[in-house]
Amino acid sequence: MARKPQQNPQLDMTPMIDVVFELIIFFVVTLVEAQKKDDTIELEDGRNGIVLVPEELPPTHMQVDIGLRNGKARISMGDIEITPAEITRRAKERLKKYKTFPVLIRADFAVQHKAVAQVMDACAEAGVWQLSFMAVAEDKTHERKRLKRYKK
Amino acid sequence: MARKPQDNPQLDMTPMIDVVFELIIFFVVTIKQEDLFSKLNVNRPAPSTSKEESSDITVNIELGNAKRNNPNGVIVYNKKEVSRQELDQNLREIASTSKKTPIIIKCQLESPHKVLVDVLDICYKHELYSVSVFTL
Repeated sequence: MARKPQQNPQLDMTPMIDVVFELIIFFVVTLVEAQKKDDTIELEDGRNGIVLVPEELPPTHMQVDIGLRNGKARISMGDIEITPAEITRRAKERLKKYKTFPVLIRADFAVQHKAVAQVMDACAEAGVWQLSFMAVAEDKTHERKRLKRYKK
Repeated sequence: MARKPQDNPQLDMTPMIDVVFELIIFFVVTIKQEDLFSKLNVNRPAPSTSKEESSDITVNIELGNAKRNNPNGVIVYNKKEVSRQELDQNLREIASTSKKTPIIIKCQLESPHKVLVDVLDICYKHELYSVSVFTL
């Protein structure tokens, strides 16, 4: 009862194509699209901090980025530059809607405290006293880049 | 001159395997290793509140940038300049008596953000979580 391959010369490609498509879709889906943010920011280490799971952050959270551009601090949200007054306005709006929401400050390690204070005061003015600073709990890419910047 | 498939029943799989490997390599290379992030919570009192210490026992840490180009900043604890290790020792002693001790950090405008995060990290290491940040 042995099969005779000569009688059925056309190989069915369908399963293989299925598997390849499956693989492609898997990789496309697992590559989570990065949130818009200031990519130049290098964070300081904070190994003892509370581990931040991006998926667990409530969608109401507010993230403020403080980066450096030509030695000057640049305050931004979603990579769009923003003034402290605008932060106060947005925080007030959010407070009205949600009552409470976390504020995450993502500031570059080299930025001067002046800019961080501006952001903190802008939030405090809106009535948000609790803020969080973002740091690196487990370093896989930052340290190398940070060392490079130190040398400059 | 039409091809007769019956004459060549074995399909050449090589190009397909090539393409699959190419795809695998492409995805492996493009996937970036992600850092794991942490957050450090602080209290920021309103700008209008006085910066005088309350009557409770608090720990004051001042942060400054004594030398203009010191990228690491300077930590002052008990009116003495201390290193990160010394501050670590001091906070360990404080945490051993009470973990609820409020910590007040006063930052100078020119101090780098790095030093504030470093000090916060040391506070968290000893489970001192009631930290307030003032600006001098």
